[in-house]
Amino acid sequence: MKSFENIDVKSVREAVSLLQKFHQQKKSAAVVGGGSEYLQLMKDHVVEPDYLINLKSIPGLDYIKEERGGFRIGALAKLVEIEEHPAVREKLLILSSAAGEAASPQIRNAGTIAGNLCQRPFCWYFRSSNFTCLRKGGQVCYTVTGDGRFHAILGAGPSYIVHPSDTAPALVALGAQIKIAGPTGEKMIPLEKFFVLPSVDYKRENILNPAEIVTEIFVPTPKAGSKGFYHKVRERLAWDHAIVAVATIVESSGSVVRAARVVMGGVAPIPWRAAKAEEFLRGKRIDEATAKQAGEIALEGAKPLKDNVYKVKMAQDLIQRGLLASA
Amino acid sequence: MAQAPKEYSIVGKQTPRIDAYERVTGQAQYTGDLQLPGMLYARVLRSNVPHAKIISIDTSKAEKLPGVKAVIHHENAKVPWSSGGHTHRRYIFNNPVRYVGDPVAAVAATDRHIAEDALKLIDVKYEKIPHVLDANEALKPDAPKIAPNGNLSVGKGAFSAPIEESWGDIEQGFKDADRVFEDTYITKHVNNAQLERRVSIAKWDAGKLTVYASTQGVSNARTDIAKDFALPLSKVRVVCKYMGGGFGNKNQAQDYDYMAAMLAKVAAQPVKLEFTREDDYIGMHGRWASEQHYKVGVKNDGTITAVSLDAVTNMGAYRKQSGNLSGTDFYNIPNFKKVIKPVHTNTVVAANYRAPAYPQSVFGFASFLDQVAFELGVNPLDMFMRNRAQKSKGKLPFTSNYLEQCILEGSKRIGFSEKWHKPGATAGPVKHGIGMALGGYPFRPGLGAATIRVNPDGTAHVLVGVTDIGTGAKSTMAIIASEALGIPLNQIQLTNGDTDVTPYSVGESGSRTTAFTGPAVVAAAEDVRKQIFALASAPMKSKPEELDLRDGQVFRKADSAQRIALGQIVKDSGDLIGRATTNPNFPKEMDGKCFSAHFAEVEVDTWTGHVRITRYVAAHDSGAILNRLTAESQIKGGVVQGIGMAFSEELLIDKVTAIPINPNYRDAKVPTHLETPEVEVIFVEHYDPYGVFGGKVVGEPPITAAVATIANAIFNATGKRFKELPITPDKIVRAVQV
Ligand SMILES: Cc1cc2nc3c(=O)[nH]c(=O)nc-3n(C[C@H](O)[C@H](O)[C@H](O)COP(=O)(O)OP(=O)(O)OC[C@H]3O[C@@H](n4cnc5c(N)ncnc54)[C@H](O)[C@@H]3O)c2cc1C
Repeated sequence: MKSFENIDVKSVREAVSLLQKFHQQKKSAAVVGGGSEYLQLMKDHVVEPDYLINLKSIPGLDYIKEERGGFRIGALAKLVEIEEHPAVREKLLILSSAAGEAASPQIRNAGTIAGNLCQRPFCWYFRSSNFTCLRKGGQVCYTVTGDGRFHAILGAGPSYIVHPSDTAPALVALGAQIKIAGPTGEKMIPLEKFFVLPSVDYKRENILNPAEIVTEIFVPTPKAGSKGFYHKVRERLAWDHAIVAVATIVESSGSVVRAARVVMGGVAPIPWRAAKAEEFLRGKRIDEATAKQAGEIALEGAKPLKDNVYKVKMAQDLIQRGLLASA
Repeated sequence: MAQAPKEYSIVGKQTPRIDAYERVTGQAQYTGDLQLPGMLYARVLRSNVPHAKIISIDTSKAEKLPGVKAVIHHENAKVPWSSGGHTHRRYIFNNPVRYVGDPVAAVAATDRHIAEDALKLIDVKYEKIPHVLDANEALKPDAPKIAPNGNLSVGKGAFSAPIEESWGDIEQGFKDADRVFEDTYITKHVNNAQLERRVSIAKWDAGKLTVYASTQGVSNARTDIAKDFALPLSKVRVVCKYMGGGFGNKNQAQDYDYMAAMLAKVAAQPVKLEFTREDDYIGMHGRWASEQHYKVGVKNDGTITAVSLDAVTNMGAYRKQSGNLSGTDFYNIPNFKKVIKPVHTNTVVAANYRAPAYPQSVFGFASFLDQVAFELGVNPLDMFMRNRAQKSKGKLPFTSNYLEQCILEGSKRIGFSEKWHKPGATAGPVKHGIGMALGGYPFRPGLGAATIRVNPDGTAHVLVGVTDIGTGAKSTMAIIASEALGIPLNQIQLTNGDTDVTPYSVGESGSRTTAFTGPAVVAAAEDVRKQIFALASAPMKSKPEELDLRDGQVFRKADSAQRIALGQIVKDSGDLIGRATTNPNFPKEMDGKCFSAHFAEVEVDTWTGHVRITRYVAAHDSGAILNRLTAESQIKGGVVQGIGMAFSEELLIDKVTAIPINPNYRDAKVPTHLETPEVEVIFVEHYDPYGVFGGKVVGEPPITAAVATIANAIFNATGKRFKELPITPDKIVRAVQV
């Protein structure tokens, strides 16, 4: 690992002003929460920052508060705390399950929610210092000629990463918002708008500017009559990212769907909302046939690589299963 | 069933490891924990191209980096690595480089980070040579030549190629068959993935080299180092007290030991060379990948009349070991022929990994037999029972063979006959399946040595060369000594793994530890017991042969009430020393083997491709069991490795750049606890007349049948035959779709 300086900051403002200063000085700097993801990249020489700004030393940024209308979750809340929080479990079950399905117990004990949403891709070409890929300033996305079995089938090109977060699809399905602090103050935006497609900018995964950090997630409590489901497929039951993940929430009255959310992980460079399928479901009764059809609609336009054709059927089946479980 | 000649006091019980406390409390000093005064840290630079001549190597910038003390490479450190390759001379640094990962240089510096930074300052100019990654491509006449003789890996003696074996009359065998089947099975390169990464510490004192190694064999490591550094054996000391696993890729001395020694020599300071996990995956070796083409002749009832196997095994850039495939060993095959071609490619080296020639070929052959049974309409249990091995190589009797009992007891425990159904018969997306396969491993005793010192208070020191690679070998040796001496285990101190102190050991690989060194411990105990009985003769007023020793008490066989504590007898005698070098064998016209029958039940989710093992039963014939606790752990561990090989592990190489893309635990996907069912272990115990206390071997066999067992269960669940490993969710989903 290249040597670097660690700075324990005491406030969000301090973090932001340091980021701004280093940016102006053309020094590389990054913030870390648990460090569970970022330190690995440093050890593997994929990133070599001059400064690490440690957010964990900011007091009180790890809250989970239930308020009228929803939950406020501080950037430093750990995945394990979200997984085990009784009210989150009761009212935001898909978030609790998604947090609990991420990584491994050790990583969930260290990893924060902001770090989980901001983690860099787990593409093997990106993670290896042997490949200078497109996303790292190189000329090619190696998945195109190489091995793309775990890569994107939707919304990809020129880079084929998949967004690695488990909590992101669940939070997008829940309609969460994300609070960002920067030099000019704070702003709250829908989480869905946080992520960036490679066709827009293939060197980043989110909209954060160099001097901005995430400070909070707000999750509205689903309406009465809503039921959700989070299902993740992977090769290994722990310590493994999603091959395909599906978050579904169905709000029904009687047996008729009033609104549905279908968001996929592991299939696209951002948490992928299947808007057409959601539209299709409105006003329908969910049975085998509608659930199946919704899955097919959700995967319309999928462009798999040579190695990941299997993901299409897998995602369709999972959506079907998720909707039947949410009905 | 042959019976043990007598009741034992400790053999056959459940005994916790003698060093369990040190290991779990972190007090055990593994090689990586050792710190020597003035020690430097070293890192290795590896080739990032698959095949190239090194035109120049400029280390000047690296040498100028403050803290860097030594930089070595092919020009200034031309050290041969004899055991690293058997078809052409291999050095610790080679020019040309022959795979992505071939070492190019090593740096020693005052800390690890400086060493890593220095690697980046080394400027290597390559002139690329065409390369080949695929074993079949490599055999084509116009393929780039990796070894001087071409890509069929032809070495001397045991390393000649192709590997050929036959008996009976293969043509006649196929003529006698009612039906003949042919198919091809494919397995991939998987890494040993032992927890402890490679590390070596070397230091020189006045021309004597000491290497603290992480090795599976201090004696053979010493022999290798002495040979390649042209030193007498007396000037080389190899030490390994606590060892963190190797599964066959840490036997003997390896290039990193040599690099540490060379760096220490140049820097005139001790050097610790450490591998990263990536180094570990690409810089040493994993299991050879294979393509196995079988032709099997059978009678309509399933009886095998002939088997032929044509295969290629991908050995990577250098031939370290055999490349053989032996999964047919557990069957009765009257007419047999195999031709196996070990092949060089510009990929990571393949060599020994737990039961080297077995799990991949047991997967191939037992999957194929299961398929043949299906096509004949024969139940797999009948198929395996009918064709189980009864003689070795069609003719030699085994020293003992309880394979039939393994099949009977294992199938009964899991309820095979009741639970087996037509393949793919379960309704709905989640399908139940049950499968089985046969496995095992050769058993043979051999050369071993031991020294036992009885102290004046009646406690004892046992000195053996063995390293404990996780099998519990230290405990096994102490148990054997305790039993053979008649001194309680807690009064025995075991010293192991230091060539300056402990006697010869063959190397803790090939399931040889207990079978080779065990008899020497028994003989050394007998030697010292003779001395004890001679001393006791006067105070006990008996002839030496009338005396016995148990629980630290010398007593008259005829009247055990007449006894004196051992400490009393030896208190004025200084140390009594018993020693032995033994080399037992069994008659030429016999063969030794361990056997196993494994059984698994699975649930296959055809929507997600996820397979859950719901039940696993492993029935083993390992002769008598010396320590049930560690023996059971061995079986469980082997099954877990088989699960990884069956479901997820495979070293993937990018086709364009030839760079491995998943050389780490995260991406190569070794299994976790969640993939691992409770493994129910059955030992069909019996006394093998040629084993120490009747025991055969335990370490290698458990992985052999696991992969095929799981694959056959998946077939029973889905009705789809997976002929290529690993059986990943994407393959399952694709197969059930069509
Ligand atoms: C082996 C392994 C397997 C994994 N498997 C999964 C999985 O299956 N599912 C899954 O969801 N995740 C998985 N992860 C990722 C894991 O969840 C993350 O490592 C963890 O959540 C990150 O949290 P952290 O606080 O440690 O982040 P850090 O490592 O501290 O930071 C991660 C990234 O986020 C940025 N960051 C952190 N906090 C902020 C902030 N407040 N504002 C702006 N940027 C910030 C950092 O700069 C960095 O780029 C895995 C990780 C590993 C190492």
